[in-house]
Amino acid sequence: MDRRNFVVGSAAAAAALATRPSFAEDAYPSRPITFINPFPPGGAADVVGRPLAAVLEPLVKQPCIIETKAGAAGAVGAQFAANAKPDGYTLLIHITSISGFAEVDRLFGRTPKFTSADFIPIARLVADPCVFLVNDKQPYKTLKEFVEDAQKRPDQIIFSSSGLYGALHIPTALFMKAAGGLKLRHLPTNGGGPALTAVLGNNSQVLVSSVSAANAQIKAGKLRPLALFGAQRSKALPDVPTMKELGYNVEYYLWVGVFAPKGTPANVIAFWAQNLDKAAHSELFKTSMNNLGQDVEYLDQAAFAKFWADDAKRIEDAVRTIGRVEG
Amino acid sequence: MESTLQSLWLGFSVALQPGMLWYAFVGCLVGTLVGVLPGIGPLSGISILLPITFGMNATQAVIMLAGIYYGSQYGGSTTAILMRIPGEASSVMTCIDGGAMAKKGRAGAALCIAAVGSFIAGTFGLVLLTVLAPPLASLALSFGPPEYTALLVLGLIFLAYMSSTSLMRTLLMACLGLMLGMIGIDNMTGHFRYSFDLPELGDGIGIVPVAVGLFGLGEILSTPSKNVTAEVISPKLRELLPNREEWRQSVMPIARGSVLGFIIGIIPGSAHIISSFLSYALEKKVSRRPEEFGKGAVAGVAGPESANNAASTGAFVPMLALGIPTGPITAVLIGALMVHGVAAGPQLISEHPQVFWGFVASMYVGNLMLLLLNLPLVGLFVTVLRIPYAYLYPLIIMFCIIGVYEVSHSIVDVWIMLIMGILGYGLRKFGFDPAPLVLGLVIAPIFEQSLRQSLIMSNGDYLIFLQRPIALGLVAVSVVLLAMSAISFVLHRKDWRAKLAEAEAGEPSA
Repeated sequence: MDRRNFVVGSAAAAAALATRPSFAEDAYPSRPITFINPFPPGGAADVVGRPLAAVLEPLVKQPCIIETKAGAAGAVGAQFAANAKPDGYTLLIHITSISGFAEVDRLFGRTPKFTSADFIPIARLVADPCVFLVNDKQPYKTLKEFVEDAQKRPDQIIFSSSGLYGALHIPTALFMKAAGGLKLRHLPTNGGGPALTAVLGNNSQVLVSSVSAANAQIKAGKLRPLALFGAQRSKALPDVPTMKELGYNVEYYLWVGVFAPKGTPANVIAFWAQNLDKAAHSELFKTSMNNLGQDVEYLDQAAFAKFWADDAKRIEDAVRTIGRVEG
Repeated sequence: MESTLQSLWLGFSVALQPGMLWYAFVGCLVGTLVGVLPGIGPLSGISILLPITFGMNATQAVIMLAGIYYGSQYGGSTTAILMRIPGEASSVMTCIDGGAMAKKGRAGAALCIAAVGSFIAGTFGLVLLTVLAPPLASLALSFGPPEYTALLVLGLIFLAYMSSTSLMRTLLMACLGLMLGMIGIDNMTGHFRYSFDLPELGDGIGIVPVAVGLFGLGEILSTPSKNVTAEVISPKLRELLPNREEWRQSVMPIARGSVLGFIIGIIPGSAHIISSFLSYALEKKVSRRPEEFGKGAVAGVAGPESANNAASTGAFVPMLALGIPTGPITAVLIGALMVHGVAAGPQLISEHPQVFWGFVASMYVGNLMLLLLNLPLVGLFVTVLRIPYAYLYPLIIMFCIIGVYEVSHSIVDVWIMLIMGILGYGLRKFGFDPAPLVLGLVIAPIFEQSLRQSLIMSNGDYLIFLQRPIALGLVAVSVVLLAMSAISFVLHRKDWRAKLAEAEAGEPSA
């Protein structure tokens, strides 16, 4: 609990005590709501979650608190939320990688600590397509040139990632499979920043990154984009063809969504579906996301549930394709 | 050079506006509090205040948020010196001699030297940042996994100089630290190692819980078994300032710490946390009286404190010139710039000169503010030591627990700290020094990762460490250091460690 939570919490506790006699008919929500951020401050869920909380507070008329529970690449926070009391006062903000943890556990013969079934998807807020990048010292001008060279010297070209089975490893694995079992050498690091640093220093030659994280480097000409993982071309990179245009059936986004633990009452889910809809369409939230180099890509509850089911299949498939790494 | 001065002039014209001065002051003040209060770190301080900056422009926001960061580096030394609680990894070394100086009644002097050393190192780092940021940034990028590995080998060799006990005991502690550092998910294969099915151990054992447990809690647990005199150290006002001898002893360590810290700070990744360790080891190596280290050597405070402040300035070089984060805090600052629509990247300086130069200039002002803020507070802080132990120590234990929990909101971390506290008590009883254990824990994960990354890059060929010029240079320094020790061993010349071991054998440690 951070200082602000403490102050807010004590104030709320005092208020709750004061109004004790009439508590039976309290309408939801009657106390502050905690959003679990499973990544370190500054991570994807944090930069989306903080402006979201600021927009939500006046809508739901309760403080919305971001609580950081980082660890094990987002698994610790997700597990915490999965085990939280499903009373609507603990929600989770998580990203694409939420679908992969259970599959990785199965791969190693461990009992998964939580699965997708432990969460109810409420809304998707943003979805940033990934982009296939090469260091500007590399000769490749098109994805075709790259694939031809990689086929000629298998396991020689190095790609960096944010970590094994991580959010940036999975799209690379999906592409390698779609390109007929292309062999690249994997350089895992411990985060998106280090992975970007590795490719900028030419210690790796390839990186698949989200557009927003790499855009400044692309504009400066340090990294060359060869293909986009989105369904359509991106406004930020109108000249970069999509994987589908180039004949590879891959699609991958770094999205951020809001979840509730399984068992949360239906009226609470409906309450959040409505308010998240309003918040996602507010000007303030749109501006904050545009400043981050992203567009609001809102999906309501039904659409997000369908999208997530498809996305989870792709990710589980990618994890199985990567398989266990011999080390 | 002339254009740099012109740009700096532009920067000061931004930074000296009353509004900007106010934000710099608020940032520095919050940073000092965040550093002193063990319950909250710079990372959470910055992210909690981030929404407040939504109403400001990008320059104001980054000036205030960065003030919290470098302000906390000043404040962090306070708890380390007064209570032996290292608020973060970079103040671990300050605990040792800072704590010892406080016991001798020189807490005021230690705090003053830490503040002045921080000011000099911070300002020195800024001058280099102003003049050299773009060329230095490209150096940072050429620092890949092989260079990292070579630097850490050097760090491991310096381990031998870390401790005030015998070489055997030092190496034993270091090995224990390296082993603890192996706990967690293997980044290369995804296997859990020694994590006992606890997902919290997946990221390994944190440095802060271990350091706070071994130093802060271990110290307190061992107090009742000692013959504590009721006498409380309460220095007179005149004794608060360092005397002439202490100033003289701190001049060179501050200078060396500044240079060393800045160079290490530039390196992207986690290298900055070893800056204070390396500085301590270096000071001990060059000192004419290495046996004083651990017993209140002035250089043992001046060097590491300067190094960690210079490193925090150095960390801004890759962030501002390249847009790549050197650590979690610079990552949050980049996020803050992005929220304000300023893309941190190679084009920051040309596209947003008022942000870049305003920020640089505000740090000159901020460092001066911090010095003026901290020196008068020294007297206030020292009065903490007047509180009788019976009241002070339970308070410290509470701060230890809150502080450790705050880092990652994990109750497992609190348990680790308590276990380490008991271990620290045992180590103290048997005359072991915990500092090499902490350094081992810091080095192990970075060393393992960069070694294995290097071997992935070279497809298993160890020659990669000799093929890259920076790595080769670092390996050469390591070889020279080892050769020098080997020669003195062959010539049977006893060095201070052998003398110390003899002295220990003669009188059993208290």
